[in-house]
Amino acid sequence: MTLSEVTERISRKLEAKGAQPDRQKIESRLRRLVEEFGVNVDEAERTVTGDLAREYNVTGVGTGGSSSTELRQIRDLAPNDWVTIEGKIVALTPPVSPSIAQTGIIADSSGAIRFVAWARGNPPAMEYGHWYRLESAVVDEYKGAPNLKIHSGTTIARAEEDAPLLPSITPIAELKPGVGSVRAKVIQDWEVSHDRMLQTGLLGDETGTIKFVIWKEEGKDRLELDAVYNVYYATVDEYNGRLSLALNTAMYIPDEGDIEVGRNESETRGALVHIGPGSGLIKRCPVEGCNRTLSRQNYCPVHEIQPEFRYDLRLKGVLDDGVHAKNVLMQREVVERLAGITLEEAVGIAETNPLGMDEIFYRIRNTVLGRYYTCSGSEFDGRLLVNSCTPIVFEPAELAALLNRAGGEPA
Amino acid sequence: MKPQSTFEREPARRVFASELRETRYQFKDGEDEKSPTYVILPTGIRSNRIFVVGTLTEKQRQGDQNIFYRGRVVDPTGTFFIMAGSYQPEAMQQLARIEPPAFVAVVGKPNLYTTPEGNCLVSVRVESIAVVDRETRDLWVLDTARETLDRLDAFGTTDDSRKAQEEYGTQPDLYRKIVYDALSQVQL
Ligand SMILES: [Zn+2]
Repeated sequence: MTLSEVTERISRKLEAKGAQPDRQKIESRLRRLVEEFGVNVDEAERTVTGDLAREYNVTGVGTGGSSSTELRQIRDLAPNDWVTIEGKIVALTPPVSPSIAQTGIIADSSGAIRFVAWARGNPPAMEYGHWYRLESAVVDEYKGAPNLKIHSGTTIARAEEDAPLLPSITPIAELKPGVGSVRAKVIQDWEVSHDRMLQTGLLGDETGTIKFVIWKEEGKDRLELDAVYNVYYATVDEYNGRLSLALNTAMYIPDEGDIEVGRNESETRGALVHIGPGSGLIKRCPVEGCNRTLSRQNYCPVHEIQPEFRYDLRLKGVLDDGVHAKNVLMQREVVERLAGITLEEAVGIAETNPLGMDEIFYRIRNTVLGRYYTCSGSEFDGRLLVNSCTPIVFEPAELAALLNRAGGEPA
Repeated sequence: MKPQSTFEREPARRVFASELRETRYQFKDGEDEKSPTYVILPTGIRSNRIFVVGTLTEKQRQGDQNIFYRGRVVDPTGTFFIMAGSYQPEAMQQLARIEPPAFVAVVGKPNLYTTPEGNCLVSVRVESIAVVDRETRDLWVLDTARETLDRLDAFGTTDDSRKAQEEYGTQPDLYRKIVYDALSQVQL
């Protein structure tokens, strides 16, 4: 890290708080500390940041250096802060490396943060469900989310009593990378895409929807479709600008009542220009929680031969408006309505027709290919998961408007 | 070569037959063997896939060893020449099954070639074809009119349209007239 990079970082932090620091001044102060006084760069950064924050009278700048014993709220922690907090261990996760002693989530009434305790400092093991006071921990950033580092200089003390803690619920639309608790309804249950995945789908509340994942782990149960849950301390991940919830750190408890889900739906109009392989009648693995598509030979990549498969209908296609080509995925109900064939009818035809399941593919393709539709649904990973799809009908008013636009005499 | 992190499928451009017939200029976007080949349409957009709906008026099986099918698809402005060969067996079988006359929807790649006499011709290599109804044909005429007018409105402001101007000397008013005439043939 060069001094000009450090200068830039300090300037940005102060600018983010509305100050207009002089970069030359910052750099010369850093240089003086480092070159004249032999201070290491990290320490110099902390000192200069702290000094300038006081000079510009701004607060909430992560100074790093001033190892504070003042108790802070977890919600307000920012990267580069050295902090003291008190919180409850609400999740412990398996450490990913031997250099790590413990990882998990610590929470107070204001919020929750992921933590990592490095093995080198030989920290005392913290227990799930208990409160601890952590002095001189450092906040850094991991995958876009604040993360609390417990290092050899951090003091860990078990609190005298374990106070009750009520997690604060965040509306889905306001979730940020890190840790979040939501009250939400399970509105979609998708086919899992990975051996280690127990369940994936869509959760929704009044403000929006978010993808969720539960990885296979002892004691983890599936969520029930259409049920409402309180989900406490899920991990909020960001990938390609999209958030998702991993529920392995979370406690999820069924809740009474229903939720009117605010669907952040998008609508696309166009012609279906492509019907992809894997459309039509398919067979799914019957093993509880699997639901994978089987091969022609009834083979599941995980559970091998499954003669007791169940049938399903789906359509993977491309809806194209002439400017953008959008991948769309339709589930059984939508396909049934669109193609005018029920699953039962499709199975009946496939089992008696010499072409078998291919016959259903051709029938569906011939019914929908090249036709115009309006599809609405939610978008994930560049694909529209279609909730409803309706044929576009000819509107004489549109013809009149286009004739006008083309600039001729009125027809 | 543009680095492509996420693959985005090329849209199928909407173009009337009389515009496609004038298309002469094609280029490869990149050095690679697999780089896509585009044509520049006279109204000023690159295209390596088109979507047309019209009436299949004629279909012929050709070739002995390498069988392929040719067909003519008519829209209100002219004729598209389509072909499907063994490189797209599905498309060829679909076309083989359709008896003209029929309304058809065709997704395919525009393909330029020069005849031994030196004439430049444009055909459409079929990726998919299906029988549709009159309403879909009418919707396509409206759709293609709208897309063509959008391109004409942007004419001169995009790189592709400046290229079209250079190659074809496109007169936007002429194409507005074509759009108008095409729309006029749609019955209310
Ligand atoms: Zn399985």
